[in-house]
Amino acid sequence: SSQLSSLPLQILLYVNGIYYIFYFLATLAMIIYKSQVFSYPDDLLAPDLAVLLLMGILEVPRLYLGFKGNLTEAEAPLGLSLGLTVGSVVLCVYLLLWQTYVLWADMLLNAVLLSAYGLESGLKVMAIAAFVS
Amino acid sequence: PADTRDAAQARARRLPAPVTDVARLCMCDLLVAQCDINCCCDPDCGAEDFSLFTSCSVPVVTGDSQLCSQKAAVYSLDVEANPPERIFQLIDQVNPSVFCIRSTNYKQALYLKSPEIPTPENFDRLLDEFGGAAFSAEPDSWNLDTDAPNPPDANETHRYEHGVPVHTEDAFLRLPSPVVSSWCSDANPAGFLVNQATKCIRSVSVEKCDSIQALSMLFYINSSILAVPKSSQLVNISVRSVAVQSLDGTRTLLNSSDVLRLPMVVDELCLNAVLGVNYHITHTDTGEIIEAAAAFVLGAISKEALSIEQSFEISFTQENTQPVPLSGNPGYVVGLPVRAGFRPQGYPSPAGFLSNKHSQLTILQSTSTQDCLAAQGARAPVLFGYNMISGCKLRITAATKCQPLAQTLLDVLKGQSFPEYVASFGNSQAQAVLDWVPITQLHVSEQMISTTLQSSCQIPVSLGIEVKWTKYGSLVNPQARIVNVTATITSTALKQPPSGRERFIPVTSSVVFTDISSPAEPGYKAWPTINIKLPFDFFYPFV
Repeated sequence: SSQLSSLPLQILLYVNGIYYIFYFLATLAMIIYKSQVFSYPDDLLAPDLAVLLLMGILEVPRLYLGFKGNLTEAEAPLGLSLGLTVGSVVLCVYLLLWQTYVLWADMLLNAVLLSAYGLESGLKVMAIAAFVS
Repeated sequence: PADTRDAAQARARRLPAPVTDVARLCMCDLLVAQCDINCCCDPDCGAEDFSLFTSCSVPVVTGDSQLCSQKAAVYSLDVEANPPERIFQLIDQVNPSVFCIRSTNYKQALYLKSPEIPTPENFDRLLDEFGGAAFSAEPDSWNLDTDAPNPPDANETHRYEHGVPVHTEDAFLRLPSPVVSSWCSDANPAGFLVNQATKCIRSVSVEKCDSIQALSMLFYINSSILAVPKSSQLVNISVRSVAVQSLDGTRTLLNSSDVLRLPMVVDELCLNAVLGVNYHITHTDTGEIIEAAAAFVLGAISKEALSIEQSFEISFTQENTQPVPLSGNPGYVVGLPVRAGFRPQGYPSPAGFLSNKHSQLTILQSTSTQDCLAAQGARAPVLFGYNMISGCKLRITAATKCQPLAQTLLDVLKGQSFPEYVASFGNSQAQAVLDWVPITQLHVSEQMISTTLQSSCQIPVSLGIEVKWTKYGSLVNPQARIVNVTATITSTALKQPPSGRERFIPVTSSVVFTDISSPAEPGYKAWPTINIKLPFDFFYPFV
């Protein structure tokens, strides 16, 4: 087959984008809820919010580079996207384990996101291997 | 040595660690080393104690219920078993909510913060933060808010209000009074419109009597009173009268009161020492002081005296009014004298009743000698709500004449000017004639059936005043109102003893206050009605 672009990766990237919007809004809402219901001092609220915002800022170029790399069958943008994915995974693990309050819903959302990242990374590696060869 | 002392101090500064294990926590364990009743988690209770419990006051001990899964200690009583025994279970409680806390990286989140132990370093900061009446997160902002409205108020007309200390040039007008013991304390300020009379003991010595400030007249009149607080208008305290009391107690009023008499030592006596001060402050109805006068009683202190009793009084009168003290506003206050008066000649008169300080309702006051004829003049005012009984003994011999004796006894019982009317409210004005209740006078004579009904002369032996009062006004704030006053004079026949012998007859007078108020009936407002009416042309054009 002449088409090297990976269809599953494309679908996954697309779904990831939509899910990430929902994830960002839900996590932000839950941080607001936690700050009202529990005792959430300012010096612990700031790092949590900063991590969430950083993750949101990273997600946009990551998805864009992933789309672009997959569609143009270029391995450089895909590789860059893979690098950014590593950063996002680290931030996601922080929100899963080292947040001030980890609610059950937090755990669920982060676990889903982490599995999506894992699957994506695997597909990207396969696509890069296909493009390079 | 120093390091162990530091270690001990460091240990003392730390509070004991909080207990977080639910199996060891017990909220109802209040008594130390004793079993608390119905407390199933108390470790001091044994099996015999559990068999006497009826229920568990604390059934479950858990941590924060927001956690997704936590340990819970469940205590219950098995009443089926004989004897009843306590069941203790440690179970895992699960919170089914999606928003339960799975884990937290913030240790103090679920526990109360341990308070800081005050040390010499942080004491000032802790006092600033927690020393006030309310803990505020930002104490500085509170101060700024309360300072702002005050400066504009300072320029407005400040005035004295009831209870506010009377300001003088340097501090406050002082009325020395006994504080904890009977010794005089000079730090008691006189409150505006608070009439006070105090007596206290001051320690003196004749050698130093001209150096003790509190014995000299100057101490009481040298600082002028401010007409209104925080103003510069001064009112000087003038000397109204000076009375000199000799060592045996007789007082003479001096003619000239302008001369300031300071204490001086003359042959082992200290003369002109202040024994009493009576302040009279005149004020306007807007709370401004316009006049102040002081009446002094000066006395002599002998060498043996180590302390003297000083008495102080202050009274406030409004300008252009006659000072008639109210006994309540409007209802009578328990403990204040019952106000009484006379109907002047030529009633009805526009002035109303005559009521002043000399027309009080009084009863005979018992004296230590208990002799009726010697005690003439000593009378006690009738205070509202206080039932009183007093009496004296009358000595009669064969030579006593009946008719003058009856007249004397009537004077002893009723006093020189027995009033005719009593004010029904504590603040009844003399002009309001309907507010005054006439005193009904009854004469009852004791006639014993066995004695012969000869017209022997009767002498009054008892006066009983019965004051009937009722609660008047609203249910939550009833006012006392006098409805009826009856003065009953009981007379008995004079039985003269044989000559050479004497008899003692007891003479009594009493005041009784009876509450005749009918039970209160609460009145309820009518339920509001819903008034719905259709508009006039609602069914146009059918109607």
